[in-house]
Amino acid sequence: MKPSTDRAFDFAVRNATYLIFACVLLYFGLQSPGFLMPESLANIVKQASFIGIAALGMTFVLLTRGIDLSVGSVMFLAPLIAGFAMREYGLPVWLGFVVAVLAGVVLGGINALFVAWLRVIPFIVTLASLFLFRGFGTWLTSSTQFDFSEDMRSFGLSSVVGIPTPIVIFAIVALIAHIILAHTTFGRQIYAFGNDPEAARKSGINTQWLQARVYVICSVCAAISGFVLIAQIGRLDVAFGEGREFDVIAAAVLGGASLMGGVGSAFGAVVGATLIQTVKLGLVFTGVNLYLQPIMQGIIIFLAVFADGLREKRLLSRLKRTIRPLENA
Amino acid sequence: MSDLLTLRHLGKSWFGVPAVSDLSLGVRQGSLLGLIGQNGAGKSTLMNMIGGIVAPSAGDMLWRDKPYRPQSAADASAAGIAFIHQELNLFTNLSVAENMYIDGFPRRMGLIDWRAINERARSILDRLSLDVDPATEVGHLSPGERQLVEIAKALHNEASLLIFDEPTTSLTPRETERLFETIATLRAEGRTIIYISHILGDVKRLADDIAVLRDGQLVDQGPEADFPIPRMIRSMIGRDLGGLFPQRTGQPGDTAVLKARGLTHPGVLKDVSITVRDGEIVGLFGLMGSGRSELARILFGLDPCDQGTVLLNDAELAAGARARIAAGMAFVTENRREEGLMMDATIADNLALVAISEFGRPPLFLIDRDRLLERTEAARQDMSIKAGDISRQPVKALSGGNQQKVVIGKWQLEHPRLFILDEPTRGVDVGAKYEIYTLVDRLAAGGGGILMISSELEELMGVADRIVVMNRGEIMGEFPRGDFDQERILAMSFREQAA
Amino acid sequence: MNTMPARDPAAEVAVSRPSDEPPRPNPRKLVGRLADLVLSDYFVLYMSLAYVAVLAPFLPTLLLPANIVNVMSNMWPLLAVAVGQTFVLAIAGIDLSQGSVVAMTSVIGAALIATVANPVVLSNAPIWGVLIAEDGGLLNGMTGSLLAAILVMIMVAMLIGLLNGAAVAMLNMPAFMVTLVSMITFSALAIYLTQSENIARLPAEYVRLGKGDIVSVYFGAKEESQIARRTIYSFISYPMVIAVSLAIAMHLLLNRTVFGRYVLAIGINRKAAEISGVPVRRIIVTVYMLSAACAAIGALLYSARLEAGRPTLGEGTFLLDVIGAVVIGGTSLFGGKAKILWTFFGVLFFVLLSNTLNLMNLSSFQVDMVKGAVILGAALLDVFRTRLMRERSG
Repeated sequence: MKPSTDRAFDFAVRNATYLIFACVLLYFGLQSPGFLMPESLANIVKQASFIGIAALGMTFVLLTRGIDLSVGSVMFLAPLIAGFAMREYGLPVWLGFVVAVLAGVVLGGINALFVAWLRVIPFIVTLASLFLFRGFGTWLTSSTQFDFSEDMRSFGLSSVVGIPTPIVIFAIVALIAHIILAHTTFGRQIYAFGNDPEAARKSGINTQWLQARVYVICSVCAAISGFVLIAQIGRLDVAFGEGREFDVIAAAVLGGASLMGGVGSAFGAVVGATLIQTVKLGLVFTGVNLYLQPIMQGIIIFLAVFADGLREKRLLSRLKRTIRPLENA
Repeated sequence: MSDLLTLRHLGKSWFGVPAVSDLSLGVRQGSLLGLIGQNGAGKSTLMNMIGGIVAPSAGDMLWRDKPYRPQSAADASAAGIAFIHQELNLFTNLSVAENMYIDGFPRRMGLIDWRAINERARSILDRLSLDVDPATEVGHLSPGERQLVEIAKALHNEASLLIFDEPTTSLTPRETERLFETIATLRAEGRTIIYISHILGDVKRLADDIAVLRDGQLVDQGPEADFPIPRMIRSMIGRDLGGLFPQRTGQPGDTAVLKARGLTHPGVLKDVSITVRDGEIVGLFGLMGSGRSELARILFGLDPCDQGTVLLNDAELAAGARARIAAGMAFVTENRREEGLMMDATIADNLALVAISEFGRPPLFLIDRDRLLERTEAARQDMSIKAGDISRQPVKALSGGNQQKVVIGKWQLEHPRLFILDEPTRGVDVGAKYEIYTLVDRLAAGGGGILMISSELEELMGVADRIVVMNRGEIMGEFPRGDFDQERILAMSFREQAA
Repeated sequence: MNTMPARDPAAEVAVSRPSDEPPRPNPRKLVGRLADLVLSDYFVLYMSLAYVAVLAPFLPTLLLPANIVNVMSNMWPLLAVAVGQTFVLAIAGIDLSQGSVVAMTSVIGAALIATVANPVVLSNAPIWGVLIAEDGGLLNGMTGSLLAAILVMIMVAMLIGLLNGAAVAMLNMPAFMVTLVSMITFSALAIYLTQSENIARLPAEYVRLGKGDIVSVYFGAKEESQIARRTIYSFISYPMVIAVSLAIAMHLLLNRTVFGRYVLAIGINRKAAEISGVPVRRIIVTVYMLSAACAAIGALLYSARLEAGRPTLGEGTFLLDVIGAVVIGGTSLFGGKAKILWTFFGVLFFVLLSNTLNLMNLSSFQVDMVKGAVILGAALLDVFRTRLMRERSG
């Protein structure tokens, strides 16, 4: 390959998610120009906030080589507990929000207990808690829909200086996640742990405590994301959040988080979630058969993961070249 | 001078088997103690006790004359003890500065103070004369630079005792030289050092005192001046070693087993041609990064090669490792743990892996287990692998030397024509090395060709019939047995290093 | 010359669980016996038997022949699918797409051989007029149609497996993401192809494969047998024969053939396998194809039992059941440690668990909760077991 095409390819692989994003926007924009209007773009971000907030939490877990399959159930259970508390004690919405967050802490703590201290692999722990949490929630509601008060809905539909509240919360969570990951000791230690858990332990990092906090953060984010979406709907169905764990993981991976740990960022998670939502809404906008939509999503996720693999491969080959600085024969 | 660290009757047992027993030793303030011993002598257990990774089951330690009982790596680090491990504990996805401060960043208003850590890191790197930007990702550094970063990491919290565990295994001679200069600087600053190494010449050159461990006990110690290398070896293995190398039993033949011509791959090899005859042991010498391991992988078909041909018994070989194995090649990797063995599997399973496809028996191609066990047991005896029941014992329970014999043995079932041995004695202790040399000699005497790669020149001079020197992906020249000259070979391997 | 500390006698103990040996005498008798039991191949079977023994007094219906037949008939389809998953876990992979393969193949198989179809329901589906029309499926009424349909199902499955395997082996993509994508994509495709409708009216020979008896025992008057299903107890049924022969074949494949050795070698250390001449990529692709083919056999049994091809088959808790059963059996998610026998017992235990919880009149979500807890328990047990094993092998 010529150096210039080589570099172009490199650039493409490195920024695959953004390129896919641009293509998606362009395509849907051409298909129906209304798609690129500010209102519909704002709508995308608003709807992306749901998966996005959870994907921010998932990024923490993926960075430590872990996985959390229970987020869909936490999205369901934590707001439900908050709803009961609000109904029983007449709590205002903001206190309900606090209750949901606390519920997230407890549920994440259960995952953390098994992963960090009992050393069971995250896949199994969170697969089990996926069913435990949902089962518990279904039992609480006796398999019926749970209706929230009007306050809840008006909170969900409110806005702060013209920006819808869900977007504001999304932005705040993203900002906090970014600061933690990029600018605190804890955040940098998460990257270190994901890169080499054994070396992290030898470096004197309290790895159990680190892992535990990561799972709690993930559940808290899932709790917030569930709360924010339910506030917009005003009620909670039995099947709420079911299967969402895969959307959330996909969003985080689309945003550049690696399942092998040590790679990923808060910004990436935001981009990944927005991309998924763009595709979803775009497909609705252009009137594609409802049943075909998941297939398109699947293809896009596949492309992003594929690009990620290429990126890693090129990185490796580049490293080899620097070890052996020979002229091009 | 008083002792900085004192060990008193220290002991540690694993499941009733003592790894270290009744060990008493003092490390003088400001001195450099060379610690030597074979693999399994208890060095790493001892270091792990000092480092707070394992708790001693007997005895105690004094640090600056006060009782010292570390519960974790953090305790040791807080006391002022730092480790520079053989396998580096660096995070390739983080910057140099981040690696140095990973156990506690300086903060401003709760957030990491990037300016401060980059400045402090810069000043420490300057002291080690390592010219890299503290913000560089460690993944982009060379092995030697990484080793220095590891030392910088140890220095940032002003450790007073530094423990080097085999620090030179992945370094080029040039980088090793730089490391020794750094160690001299550290000593000038009054730091105390424990230096563990298999390279006895280095230990003798650096140390003030030498201590020898064997079977978990301190068997010999004294000032460096009283410790010629033969005494070190004698103490390490507990007896005199008749000679370091066995007598060659066979003679090289005239037919070429391997003929590689004009191997060229951009960035890796340039016009490499090499021949190995039957019964011949060809030593391939080169420094880390000279392309020797890359050549081995290309010959074996693991890595691609743009140009050139590889002939085995005058037949050109198809690409890919499977074709080359079928043609009669065997490859003993330099990385036993990651590429050579299935550590969790049994010895028999490991020995059988290469030849397994010959044991399928029609009509269903089920494996003939009796014949398989018979053949693997025969291979075990042939290789004199010291093990119990090979169909039950996992290979990870073996010593390094016996593990290496399993790696060689698994190829034996295929009766290969050419053996490529990449660092066959790495991580193997002195006694087992001799056994492996004997084995290599026997393989050659049986008519096979051997291409043996090593970074220990003495070893190649001891066993090879011919030494080929590589540098920067090219063959620089070769020396027949009668013509071996350490200085000339080394000089050839260094040539153009500066370019 | 050996410089290792004196050879630890415990090192001589097997690292793989002793299979064909009686528990060896141990100085620490009781503890040792207990450890032998926990490490035994049959541990999950013993656990299942103990579970039954404890519950039998409280659940009188548990041991009734009708219930035993019920437990068994629930076992066979799950066993077929779980056996395939065992191979994937053995190479340290994972196959999340088995459920979608079940959905796809059940739909395609049913569409091919349906005897009639209702245009009101299906005429909007993309397969209408291609695979299926008013006069039934494409193969309806042809000789050998049953066999042909099953072959097509298996081929479709293997095509999906090929895609999974190629992406994992050739493109080095993580198995979790690859099979996640095919789970999403092919579930959606199955639903799209039928526009979310079931395809019923399957021929009797097909249905028989899902619930037909070969040997059954009659209780009560013989003339009642035509109506009163409850009094006929099938002991050997078609699904049993199909699933058990599949399991035996796969057992031989994994334990007794070169292919199986290669699979386990890749699971333990892929790099070492590669250097030893194991055709790693080819084996990985084949394993994913096998996994999908097993899912197709499962789809055959499920859809024949339901007498319909259903695009939503394999959704929801199906994945949990499959992976849960395999992991409870003792197969490791990290590869290299897998046995079909373990999976058989894992499936038995899991089905038994669901069955008893149903008998206790627990609702489906309570069943899910208990299943979740049991999976956690099994994982904890595995942690304990690994530690025990390490202690024994020094």
